[in-house]
Amino acid sequence: MRDRSLAYVLLVPAFLIVLATTLYPLAYSLVTAFREWDLTKQRRPGEFVGVDNFVHAFSEPGFQNSIWITTIFVITSVILTLLIAMSLALLLRREGRLHTFTRIILILPFAMSPALIGVSYRFMFNPEFGVIAKGLGAVFPSLEGVPWLASPDLAMAILVLTDVWHWAPYMTFMCLGGLASVPRETEEAARIDGASSWRVFFGVVLPQMKGVLLVIAVLKTIFALKMFDQVVTLTGGGPGTSTETLAFFIFNVGFKWYDMGYASALAWILTAIMMLISIWYVRMLLSERKMATA
Amino acid sequence: MNRKRIYWWGERAVLVLVSCIVLFPILWMFLTAFKRPKDAYSLSLDFSPTLSNFVTVFSDPWNLGDMVLNSAIVASVTVLIAVPCASLAAYSFSRFRVRGRKFLFFLILSTQFIPAVVIVLPFFLMFRTLGLLDTRIALIVVNLAIVTPFVIWMIKGFIDAIPTDSEEAAMIDGASRLRVIKDIVLPMAAPGILTSSIFCFILTWNEFLFALILTRRDAVTLPVGLVSFRTERGDLWELMSAAGVMITVPIFIMALLIQKHFTRGMTAGAVK
Amino acid sequence: MAEVQLVDVEKRYGDFLAVTRQNLTIKDGEFLVLLGPSGCGKTTTMRMIAGLEEITAGNLLFAGERVNDKAPKDRDIAMVFQNYGLYPHMTVADNIGYPLKLRGVDRKTRTARVQETAEKVELGALLKRRPSELSGGQRQRVALARAIVRTPKIFLMDEPLSNLDAKLRVTMRAELKHLHHELGVTTVYVTHDQMEAMTLAHRVAVMREGRIVQLDTPKNIYSEPADLFVASFIGSPPMNLIDGRISGGRFEAPGVSLPVEATDRDKVVMGIRPEDLELTDPASAPISGRVYALELTGDSTLVTLREQGSSICARGPADFEAAINTSCGLAPKPGARTHLFDKDSGQRIDA
Repeated sequence: MRDRSLAYVLLVPAFLIVLATTLYPLAYSLVTAFREWDLTKQRRPGEFVGVDNFVHAFSEPGFQNSIWITTIFVITSVILTLLIAMSLALLLRREGRLHTFTRIILILPFAMSPALIGVSYRFMFNPEFGVIAKGLGAVFPSLEGVPWLASPDLAMAILVLTDVWHWAPYMTFMCLGGLASVPRETEEAARIDGASSWRVFFGVVLPQMKGVLLVIAVLKTIFALKMFDQVVTLTGGGPGTSTETLAFFIFNVGFKWYDMGYASALAWILTAIMMLISIWYVRMLLSERKMATA
Repeated sequence: MNRKRIYWWGERAVLVLVSCIVLFPILWMFLTAFKRPKDAYSLSLDFSPTLSNFVTVFSDPWNLGDMVLNSAIVASVTVLIAVPCASLAAYSFSRFRVRGRKFLFFLILSTQFIPAVVIVLPFFLMFRTLGLLDTRIALIVVNLAIVTPFVIWMIKGFIDAIPTDSEEAAMIDGASRLRVIKDIVLPMAAPGILTSSIFCFILTWNEFLFALILTRRDAVTLPVGLVSFRTERGDLWELMSAAGVMITVPIFIMALLIQKHFTRGMTAGAVK
Repeated sequence: MAEVQLVDVEKRYGDFLAVTRQNLTIKDGEFLVLLGPSGCGKTTTMRMIAGLEEITAGNLLFAGERVNDKAPKDRDIAMVFQNYGLYPHMTVADNIGYPLKLRGVDRKTRTARVQETAEKVELGALLKRRPSELSGGQRQRVALARAIVRTPKIFLMDEPLSNLDAKLRVTMRAELKHLHHELGVTTVYVTHDQMEAMTLAHRVAVMREGRIVQLDTPKNIYSEPADLFVASFIGSPPMNLIDGRISGGRFEAPGVSLPVEATDRDKVVMGIRPEDLELTDPASAPISGRVYALELTGDSTLVTLREQGSSICARGPADFEAAINTSCGLAPKPGARTHLFDKDSGQRIDA
């Protein structure tokens, strides 16, 4: 049938774009990852050095540090986002004017540029004239003069805060979508059978939300692994290297030190981490589906 | 009875608190944008608003107007290329059960898991060779990489939700597949396509990493422009805020205009 | 108008055989109903005729010409869908006129034809509305008008009445029947509702698990069901089916003893329709049991008897009354038909 060829024809333009803008550069960077290429010294790609770039990564403190930083960032930001999104979704599920208003307000953080979010939090946490820093100091005198972004742990906390502020609202909408797909009847039946609100949530609603929550968790993990903009505009990786995530570290290697071979190798390590997580996620989701149908 | 009341007020209190947490940073930025430099560093709400910050950022040496133009052109052209191509692909994925369909769809989706840094490295090298660094074309090309798979996925979600009945009826009424797409599918999917276009515009408009690496002076976009207000004299907060308002307002307007579809677009992914 | 022929037509989805070697000839101008429970392959069969589903094997002929590889638009058919398949972004007039527009009919002729067709289905006043502003019955009419605005070779109707309420369904059924009489176009109609099938069809094809189990006039299907499946599917309330055996020229089962003209055998199912039974004195009745339920249907009362776990239903007079659990007797009316089936194969045993 002619439909069959049309099916492929329609895919051609999009595939040309993906091929040219993703698959080709991907191959290019894979080749580069096995070469030595210091852009400050060489105009053209240097010699093949095998897996040297990869080996180098695992023995370098900067890389090890960035892996550690990234892990902390991803775990805290994913857990906080999920908890907040799920709780908010449960609240917002009901109807009401205030509910509708809040739902509309929640669109805004996602629409805001992450770079700008970084900038504005940097402003608000400035110890001398930042509105949050000063406000907290006024309410809790012990917090007066705390060097927020100049302290490694607090800088990380604020970085997580900006990320949660940016993503939790979006994820709330996804949770709301998931909640909408949980049939009301089962919930109502449980309530009539005498279950308390907590029991209804943990026994009836949450199990049916597992699939959705899994999707959200993985999406958030991927976004957190990619997170870059706020590091630049909020902390610049500092103080010291305390907020140097892997994405930011790769950026530095590539565009501050111009070590293209090494940066490509690091980029592929990040890709591999993301792929592993995605595969693990697809597996989880499939077994979840199987259990749901059984 | 009493517990119910407490709960009722508690729920509303939480919602008000959440709205405040969300709105406060945005409001503070808007306020600062209208403050004189000396007021910007005080926390006082008692100030006489001024437009001088906007005048400053649009004049030399900041020239925010150029950045607005760059951002607008890059985002619009990206949308104009990505959305039509993605719509066709999304239709094909949604309606035809051909060999290799699942593999191709997975391939496209999996590109979403590739970190942007991986893509920008080779592009930086290629554009350097081609002399395309610091051009809008370079930004458009790289943005397409991120946006296209995302838009395909999103529009497919919208098309999947349209029942096939009308299309089949049209085919029997005598329409060819292409005619069906033109007469039936496009009008019915229009809200979804519009929503996806605006998502796509927002992503490109706010994009930071590519612009930071690939532009220097001529093609600088708004988010990267923000960084330039960090000078030796310190951070010029009132100017940054004015620029922030310029980044934010168009996007907020778009997002709120399609608010209903917007939330549907956000949730579409979760249910499937 | 055309004769439709299915020759060894098959449909597979992977390993699943949806339609098995279908052979069927639909005569020119005939109203044929495909009847069966959901998942029996009736809709798939129709969609293959429409060209919406590829045919895995076999040939599909329209007036002797093979059309397997023709796109739906080149088959010159019209179809009414279960969910109507209207174009939500077009007005009623544009919906009805769309097939004409695709055929390059000029605007003036189109408007006239749309008007004329709309009058025929009583939509004349609604032409400017959108489908979302119409009731279910009105939408149904739009779908119908769109199908008859031009004269196709074949009409296909996929459960067109199933989304309407019971009352409207009866009215629309009569309209469909009249319309077919007026236009005389070959029509294939899919339904799971036996009443629609009986009232509309020239011939009914009863389908089960991808096969046609009986193809005959409604009258014959009702009076001579080919097997147990057809027997239980046609008729409301359904035919009583009683497990038993034949010995000495009588059918014997708990509470039942009836003379039959058949040779002795075990594992027999006897079928007898509720409307073929009448109430008699329990003492001498060939069928007896205790009253289980009485249901007044208006013109008659359905009496259900129970004996040792098996129940039998009979249609009695509207004024029949009896207490639950009292004994009651039934007998076939004079000249009534009883049907005998082989329990294992389900096939009809002919005397």
